[in-house]
Amino acid sequence: MLNIIWVIMIFTGIASGLLMGRTKEVSDAFLESCVNAVELSITMLGAMCLWSGMMKVAQKAGLVDGLARLLRSVFKFLFPGIPKGHAANGAIAMSISADLMGLGNAATPLGIIAMKELSKINGNSPTASNAMVMFAVVNAACIQLIPATVLIIRQQAGSASPTSIIPTVWIASLASLISGIAAAKLLEKRYRDPAYGLKRTASIW
Amino acid sequence: MDFIANISIPAIVLIIVITAWIKGVPVFDTFVEGAKEGAKTAFDVLPVMVGILAAVSVLNASGFIDVLSNLLKGLAALAGISPEIIPMLILRPFSGSASLGLFTEQIRAYGADTYLGRALSTIMGSSETVLYTLAVYFGAADVKNTRHALAASLIASYAGMLAAVYICKVL
Repeated sequence: MLNIIWVIMIFTGIASGLLMGRTKEVSDAFLESCVNAVELSITMLGAMCLWSGMMKVAQKAGLVDGLARLLRSVFKFLFPGIPKGHAANGAIAMSISADLMGLGNAATPLGIIAMKELSKINGNSPTASNAMVMFAVVNAACIQLIPATVLIIRQQAGSASPTSIIPTVWIASLASLISGIAAAKLLEKRYRDPAYGLKRTASIW
Repeated sequence: MDFIANISIPAIVLIIVITAWIKGVPVFDTFVEGAKEGAKTAFDVLPVMVGILAAVSVLNASGFIDVLSNLLKGLAALAGISPEIIPMLILRPFSGSASLGLFTEQIRAYGADTYLGRALSTIMGSSETVLYTLAVYFGAADVKNTRHALAASLIASYAGMLAAVYICKVL
């Protein structure tokens, strides 16, 4: 899937850059993006170490299982097939909590940890499991109690009440979450067979 | 609200470390063991990031987004979407830095408390850079066939963004 999207993005970018006489901008963008990617990775490296370390400690202390037990009924519906007491339960719970609290720096590393745990259950297969897709979709819905970055920018832009958007953000996130979960549940049957899924993906994207 | 946001990380870390210590876990050794795995993962993700950021930056620099926005304006008017919001709707799922830049620019131009300002804020607060998240998460897990992940994530993303466009008209 990413193969096709990547080709389309690169091709469209270069082609429209040529047509619109923006070849210099496009050329600069290639080189700059590499620097940005490294900067982003280095910034994430520290956070990734910190949260992977904390997760390991929390797991050994039995905290991760405790959190997972609290959320068991929700998890049973969203992520069926995770063995009881598996580290994936706790990793997902931690990652979603970080999302909810708007801890961007912690949320991505925790999400990656959770995805790797889910992949272990899936036998490290190159084809995503239903639970892995559902986890990605829940992340896409971006459920955030306090959208801190947006609030700061609103304040800087001279808003009389920066927090007035919090209710609309909650409603929109909820709409996103519900549609995403429904879409994932409906689509997972159509994409069940990996080979069939590949063909479908190729024809759609 | 600020207090809750500021206290959450120290509180989580404190609970984890103290509980582990009481239970006799070799806390620092365990932390380092986990952190090593984290460092490896971060390096594994670097090539994925270079690839995704390159494609996204090229697309942004090419001016393609402007052309596409212009093409979609008629269609959007039929659906009751203000033309000013179109570039954000196109950009948001694909590029985090570009959509944040656009948001900062637009909110200053249109005012934070106008309909446009609130709708754009709601879109920013309730959506995620789907393409980046998928690439990084599945890249780290070495998944090649992501099945319906992109389709379902984009449905989630656009349902949220369209909800934002309409809710802000009512509320």
